Amino acid sequence: MHKHQKRPWTFYVLATLFTLFVIFLYGPMISIFILSFQGPTGGLVFPLTDPGFHWFGALFGQARTGDVGGAFGRTLPLALAVMVATVVISVAAGLAFRRRFFGSSVLFYTALASLIMPGLVLSIGILVAFQFLGLPTRWYSSAFGAHLSWTLPFGLLIMFAVLSRLDPAYEEAAYDLGATRWQTLTQVVVPIVLPGIIAVSLFGFTLSYDEFPRSWLTTGPQNTLPIEIYTMTTTVTSPALYALGTVTTIISFLAIGLALGSIGYIQHRRRNKKSF
Amino acid sequence: MVHSGVVSLQGVTKSFGSLTAVDDIDLTIDGGSYCCLLGPSGCGKTTILRMIAGHETPTSGEIQISGVSVLGQTPVQRGTAMMFQSYALFPHLTVLDNVAFRLKMQGMAKRERRAKAHETLEKVQLNHLAERMPAQLSGGQQQRVALARAVITNPQVLLLDEPLSALDEFLRLQMRGELRRMQRELGITFIHVTHTQLEAIAVADLVVVMDDGHIVQASAPEDVYARPTSAYVARFMGGQNVLRGVVQSVVGPTVTLRSDQGQIFEVDSAQISAAAGDIVHLSIRRDHTELEKSDAVPTQPNHVVGKVIAIEYQGTYVKVTLDAPDNREFVSHVPDDKYLAQRVDVGDQVVVSWRAADVHILADDHRKSESGPDLELAS
Repeated sequence: MHKHQKRPWTFYVLATLFTLFVIFLYGPMISIFILSFQGPTGGLVFPLTDPGFHWFGALFGQARTGDVGGAFGRTLPLALAVMVATVVISVAAGLAFRRRFFGSSVLFYTALASLIMPGLVLSIGILVAFQFLGLPTRWYSSAFGAHLSWTLPFGLLIMFAVLSRLDPAYEEAAYDLGATRWQTLTQVVVPIVLPGIIAVSLFGFTLSYDEFPRSWLTTGPQNTLPIEIYTMTTTVTSPALYALGTVTTIISFLAIGLALGSIGYIQHRRRNKKSF
Repeated sequence: MVHSGVVSLQGVTKSFGSLTAVDDIDLTIDGGSYCCLLGPSGCGKTTILRMIAGHETPTSGEIQISGVSVLGQTPVQRGTAMMFQSYALFPHLTVLDNVAFRLKMQGMAKRERRAKAHETLEKVQLNHLAERMPAQLSGGQQQRVALARAVITNPQVLLLDEPLSALDEFLRLQMRGELRRMQRELGITFIHVTHTQLEAIAVADLVVVMDDGHIVQASAPEDVYARPTSAYVARFMGGQNVLRGVVQSVVGPTVTLRSDQGQIFEVDSAQISAAAGDIVHLSIRRDHTELEKSDAVPTQPNHVVGKVIAIEYQGTYVKVTLDAPDNREFVSHVPDDKYLAQRVDVGDQVVVSWRAADVHILADDHRKSESGPDLELAS
């Protein structure tokens, strides 16, 4: 290839497209991030006047910004519970599906079907079913189930991919070396597929944490955070909304960073552990 | 009292659905010996290994170790240990913790099991890598870790599934010597599955040649190589030319055979009790032949004539291949000095002859004339 070859015109077209894409992706996020530092007298739009942390304080004060603290106090345990349930069920199902059994493919497609089902429809369905059964909808019961219907297909698909690459010789070696089934699971299989399990946890947590459509009619009288934010857009007209967006985005990034960081650490450790 | 480490299979069959992988096998492997199960892929050798190890259950038959039936027992109860083809070293554990794994499962305290693991790693000269992770080791080092992990509790029988197949040529030769040394040092029974003929005869006391779920020959390496009992073994082991003829006459010490192409072979009658009409397979070692460039067809028996189709220099000898008249290749190994004195070229007409005393009869393929139509064996 010639070193100083002229770039084809397509390069400039694609570069422009990509730049627009990046601006579209990060522009709003960065604008909201900047505007969340708006001063007490500033409005919902630029310019930024007298920047500070005023609206972050207002978030947790008893202003008329809605029950952000309470909503966060429900969303976090819900996301953690969904994460744990997703991991446990996905790993167990992944192990079961390594052996073909009667009806396994039907079961597999049934589990995936909820990916295709629109979230709002599912939300209505759960509400109707709970009313029919005479059960109250709550964030820890009906919303928990609704979120699982969304996170489990992802968890299952990841675990199937991870476990299908797991060499059965590891389990045979463990059996050969006198490990019980439980020891094989806890000391061999789970540690080997730990990066995959972390990935499933990340999906379980983040998908539940910011889930709106499936929470819409299923959280009951007490809102989760995404519902609370939606409600606030109709009632709150202060930059507190932006401050809230910044805080929740930071929490999401922390979760992703924690997950990717630990996967990276595990893989680094397996390759490069220092010798004496 | 049965010697410890004797492995005996009696009428063992293993079927997977409609496929019979191992068909009614009887085999006894002496305690403290090195046995190689040899055969092409799919012949059932790995299935036998896995049944002895306790990773597969025979469909029928009996397996005993040291005179005790082991069916239904775990590998630990059997006193076996297996080395896997992929080594199956646990990627999340250090070399030391991999080696100590079996002791950990037994519930041995950390300090004690680590000391024992260091001791075992010393035997394979890898103690300096004890804190490394498996992914940081070379193939040969991983293999030695797998060996150390398998032998840490002094099993009676060590089972090795294609242990050298993942290594390059140079390491393979080095490691097979090391396996043999280890076996002598530990004094336990080694059962080693391989599809490489030279590997099997280099290390084993007993070579078990398999084909399609059956044992076709189980004997000392020199017997399997130089005195095969069937055309299959002769061809599979290599180093032999296999010929076939119908007995024409038995006169005194000489049995005269005639091939389908009209060649005449003479065999010493001490090797065979044959009658006219019998079909006999015989083998001649490639290095027990004389090659001569000649257009004339000799009048004496025990020769083949043909055109040279390939010449390969092998260092101490030259491998000359001719297209024998029955369309099977016939190979002659010519010592290098002799070849250099009388070169041949591809396309030359040559005569390859041998002494009647160097002919070996493949006894299992001897068909008596009254036994009906001849069954041509698969090559």
